[in-house]
Amino acid sequence: MAGLISLMILISLAGALITFLAKTREQARTIALITSGISLAISLLIFSDFNSKISAMQFLESYSWIPSIGVTLKFGLDGIGMPLVLLANIIIPLTVIFAWGETKQANRFYGLILLELTGVMGVFTSLDFFVFYIFWEIVLIPMYFLISIWGGPRKEYAAIKFFIYTHVASLVMLLAIFVLYFNSMDVTGRASFDMFQLLKSYQVMDGDLISGVISLKDAVFIGLLFGFIVKMPAVPFHTWLPDAHVEAPTAGSVILAALLLKMGGYGLFRVILPILPYSESPSIMITLMAIIGVLSILYGTFLALAQRDLKKMVAYSSISHMGYVTLGVAALVPLSVSGAMYQQFSHGLITGILFMSCGVIQHSAGTRIIHELGGIAKYMPKLTFVMLLGFLASLGLPGMSGFIAEFLVLVNSYFTLPTFVILALFGIVFTAGYHLWAMQRAVFGTYNEKLGHIHDGANYEIASMAILVLLVIYFGLNPNPVLDMMTVNAEQLLKSVVLRGVIT
Amino acid sequence: MNLDLNFTILAPEILLTILAFVIIIMGLLISDKSKNMLGYISAAGLLASLVYVVGNGMTGKFSYFYDSLVVDPLSQIFKLIFLIVSLIAVIASIEYFKDNRNQDEYYALILMSTVGMMVVASANDLIALFVGFELASMSTYVLAGFEKKNPASLEAALKYFIIGSLSSALMLFGMSLIYGISGTTNIPGIIEFFRTAPLMAQSSLGVLAMVFLVAGFGFKMALVPFHMWAPDTYEGSPSVVSSLLAAGSKKMGFVAAFRVLVLALVAIRADVQLTFAILAIITMTYGNVVALSQRSIKRMLAYSSIAQAGYIALAFVVTTPMSIAGGILLALGHALMKGGAFIAVAVVGYMVLSDNKNAKNIDDLDNFAGLGKRAPITALGFFVFFLALAGIPPSAGFIGKLLLFYSITIEAITPTGILSSSWLLLIVIIAILNSALSIYYYARVIKYMYVLPPKGEKIKEPAAYVVAILIAVAGTIGIGLYPEPFINMAMNAAQVLGV
Repeated sequence: MAGLISLMILISLAGALITFLAKTREQARTIALITSGISLAISLLIFSDFNSKISAMQFLESYSWIPSIGVTLKFGLDGIGMPLVLLANIIIPLTVIFAWGETKQANRFYGLILLELTGVMGVFTSLDFFVFYIFWEIVLIPMYFLISIWGGPRKEYAAIKFFIYTHVASLVMLLAIFVLYFNSMDVTGRASFDMFQLLKSYQVMDGDLISGVISLKDAVFIGLLFGFIVKMPAVPFHTWLPDAHVEAPTAGSVILAALLLKMGGYGLFRVILPILPYSESPSIMITLMAIIGVLSILYGTFLALAQRDLKKMVAYSSISHMGYVTLGVAALVPLSVSGAMYQQFSHGLITGILFMSCGVIQHSAGTRIIHELGGIAKYMPKLTFVMLLGFLASLGLPGMSGFIAEFLVLVNSYFTLPTFVILALFGIVFTAGYHLWAMQRAVFGTYNEKLGHIHDGANYEIASMAILVLLVIYFGLNPNPVLDMMTVNAEQLLKSVVLRGVIT
Repeated sequence: MNLDLNFTILAPEILLTILAFVIIIMGLLISDKSKNMLGYISAAGLLASLVYVVGNGMTGKFSYFYDSLVVDPLSQIFKLIFLIVSLIAVIASIEYFKDNRNQDEYYALILMSTVGMMVVASANDLIALFVGFELASMSTYVLAGFEKKNPASLEAALKYFIIGSLSSALMLFGMSLIYGISGTTNIPGIIEFFRTAPLMAQSSLGVLAMVFLVAGFGFKMALVPFHMWAPDTYEGSPSVVSSLLAAGSKKMGFVAAFRVLVLALVAIRADVQLTFAILAIITMTYGNVVALSQRSIKRMLAYSSIAQAGYIALAFVVTTPMSIAGGILLALGHALMKGGAFIAVAVVGYMVLSDNKNAKNIDDLDNFAGLGKRAPITALGFFVFFLALAGIPPSAGFIGKLLLFYSITIEAITPTGILSSSWLLLIVIIAILNSALSIYYYARVIKYMYVLPPKGEKIKEPAAYVVAILIAVAGTIGIGLYPEPFINMAMNAAQVLGV
């Protein structure tokens, strides 16, 4: 069934535009929910039709756009993109439900959320580098507005920092894409932005960027890698994330952590892995990525441990969890790579619960500072229940999806990167530590009377979190629906690695 | 090339000239009150001409008046630009100059300047070129000073007039030298002459002629260091006239340069390329850096316009068909974006004046606070124009820049001129960094519009402005979404030059 992907993207785009024009809040949120629901239905249809046994692109569509420079609108899904499209379509309707009570400029708020859906789906499905880049940039603009209009006290600073930081990284990536493009034109004599064509012709790229210092191959590799790891974000390029999260509205944080960060990880699988074995010095690049991954895991964990603001803690925990993705990719073992893919999917679900919990607490108690809270479980039993499950999933409790992902990454990375894995293991202890410690101080214990009378989260808030919790548990007990297709693609990706003898 | 006396293909120019006279005569006959209808008549005339130009098609080549005017793809695409810009400006003027008793003169002048620009686009002879230039310039000198009671407008007009006259003199002197060397004023004839006698072009007299021509066109194009009239003129003129000046009459310099400077390329290619490489880099950097600190939006747009001229001038650096096509596309995009943006400033002026009749500095950044709520369509217009000016896809600005940068990079792979690949790449990198820099000052206005709280009530945006802005928005995004026919059009136009 061709055309479903573009239909999905177009519907969310059209829904966004209609939502902008909505006159009342009621209309806006209804349209947003219906649109994202339709999009979810289409994605489920695609998912049910998806053949997880083959690694090739499915549901391919291709339309000519700017033939003079070789740009085609080409969309397709494989085991890398499919779970993420599904994730985006799960997260967005739930975010709309969670933010059902938004009153400030509701039409724009819901419209921007739908626009985010359009952007991320475009990133995960486009197979033309040019179109990929356009969607990659489109995602930035709604998020800038979500932070700068509905954000906290320092929203303007956070929004512009987010925008400039990630935009500069994207520009570096764009330069690398253009080098790939011109290189491919040189090799094939044909102007084309086709992603696979460009990545393939990387293999025969030669020449130096600065002779004797850095070869063109390495420069392109690092440029692309930079674009992706800033988005993930990985230490030391993570500083925009805590600011953005702390100031963003809850819906913005959820989308940022659950979907936007995943674009960085997606780039690692889609772009970095195919060219890694052909880079000038693969072993150096692998070590570099492994260092970045482990550094993110450890540094993110320790920073999370030190936070006073619950939301900031969750933000740093995201950095730490995304470190597993980088580590899993660097290990270049089929199961570690599919574990990294699974971590993306699972973290998207879990982090949604965590940020929503922070939002409910902020809304109800008026503060997120951990030591100003305390004992809120007494008045917020429903929230406490789902939040506890979310925190347990985040710290990697077996039976939840996070456990499977991190277990796969750590166990399988040990084959190739034993030292790094042993270092990362220390992170696990502290990860459990800060989660439980925060829960204990903020939620349990004696009630802090200074908070006055607080009420539990609204039903629609709890409901959307509960759905996420159920999904986390479901995918923790039965990962196969998405893990199978990931493994198939991971194995296919790593064939060339084995072929090149990068790892033994 | 067929030489016939069938002038239907020049009907747009003829129609507009007649219309201008009709409007002047009507102005004498009808009462001040009914002069508002003149705007609609002018708009209808421009629209008819636009339809006619498009209907004539964008291909084929026709020559008139002993080869002094030609109609070819290059002239057609620039006529399209001029007509669209004038149309937008006239539609907005219906509101801006409503109930002004001098409307007849205003519309007649706008039509005259449009005819002048169209003659420049078609000129195949130095004399026709100069006459077209003067017709357009003389009309716009008056238009710039049309708000007679506003000292800023008068200053703008005076400055524009003095510098404009100087540039015309320089240009004319350059032309006279060329005529002296080659013995003809026909542009293809001159090119043919230089091709057979390249030494003449490299002689000191030939170089001097080129310098004068570059300076003369440079003033019209507002390239640094010939730019100093632009900010004051654009800031002081009525916003609708600024729109015409920045979006339309500036492009006159480009089309003339495309036609004439190619002749220089025959003989002294390398020097021209180097000159324009330096001019373009300095112009874009200067424009963007100075725009950063402006609080007057019209001034900021003026500097951004200088920066854009710098990008367009990159077309001369490699002078391949593709780079010229990129320059033409960016000129087309810039006409829509900048024209629309100045009209949108007019709405802000309308809004501020309806709050407070004696407001000063009506285009100050502070007046843009909360514009997204006070005037949503105008704010949306600004949003689109600014992102397009910054070169963010999918927009006309993006496609133009892409094609320009792309053509230089291709040239860098196998350089044929004086500039080596690393220099060409450096130029591209500087241009890209400039684009990134420009996002800062555009984003600042967007922040004011959407993030800061509004300072007053929501206003009802006058229909004329809304129509003008929406035409520009549709064009800006339309070209970005479906660029292929426009790229082909620009490529055809570039091929005419035979570079």
